[in-house]
Amino acid sequence: MKLKVTTKILDANERIAEENKKMFKEAGVYVINLMSSPGAGKTSLLERTINAIKDKVKVGVIEGDITGTNDAERIDRLGVPVVQINTEGACHLDANMIADSAKELPLKDLDLLFIENVGNLVCPAEFKVGEDIKVMILSLTEGDDKPLKYPLMFQESSVLIINKIDLKDLLDVSVDKIRKDALSLNPKIKIFEVSCKTGQGIDEWTNWLLTNIS
Amino acid sequence: MHEASIASELLNIAINECSKNGYSKIQTIKVIIGRATGVMTDALLFAFDVLKENTPAESANLIIEEIPVRGVCKDCGKEFESNEPYIVVVCPVCGSFSLEITAGKELNITEMEVN
Repeated sequence: MKLKVTTKILDANERIAEENKKMFKEAGVYVINLMSSPGAGKTSLLERTINAIKDKVKVGVIEGDITGTNDAERIDRLGVPVVQINTEGACHLDANMIADSAKELPLKDLDLLFIENVGNLVCPAEFKVGEDIKVMILSLTEGDDKPLKYPLMFQESSVLIINKIDLKDLLDVSVDKIRKDALSLNPKIKIFEVSCKTGQGIDEWTNWLLTNIS
Repeated sequence: MHEASIASELLNIAINECSKNGYSKIQTIKVIIGRATGVMTDALLFAFDVLKENTPAESANLIIEEIPVRGVCKDCGKEFESNEPYIVVVCPVCGSFSLEITAGKELNITEMEVN
């Protein structure tokens, strides 16, 4: 007996991501899926950002890591609600993990939720988790060839934050090439140059953020 | 890509469809996979064979049809087709990055044989 089916195999994740999105919308929370390679500065950017905006908006964080609670502890010190997910080996967060961990956050009291994905420039871009936008970080030390080597993440992200800009004169890296290639892949991508170490450029990013979530 | 989780998900869907329609054994599952999904078919077949044990699909064959990546360049207007196993980033004719991908991202179950 032949059965005709027309089911997308990754439907389950997309369906749960849609449910998450609805849940966040009903709670009035704007959700950002933050992605980058390991060590590009996701947690440092969150620390800078939360310190700059926590008097104006109520922020929560979901931290995704393969193992450990180091990042959640860093966020916890800032006095905002945080949940740590340990993926136990998985290289990205999926919608189901977010559905579970969101229950532990006071969503109704939040305006903005950051989901810090597992450090990886490939897989996180392939899985929706229920976010409003994806924001990615590329740090200068990773090199200016990365947009063309990892195109999907640049294509999927609404914002590109170029971090470690304070090292610009010490490295053989062209910020212009990063900008040009990222914009070729995604003409709508919004680009900020920042240094989480010195604080350079953080204001521009947080001003943009505050305007976009209100 | 994530062949083991894809194999697991496709087995779930197939087993559900099978029992929903009142059957107990799956003989074949046909899927189409676009080249731009990055799915490695060998890894998917391997994961499928491991995961199907002790399920209604334990004697099932997985038949994979691969779909090439197709698209149109927004700059030169030329259509292209590629069997490269990943997303086409650059127009093969004019080198532009401004592409519209029209096929190659499929990851669907299309048909099953059950009894």
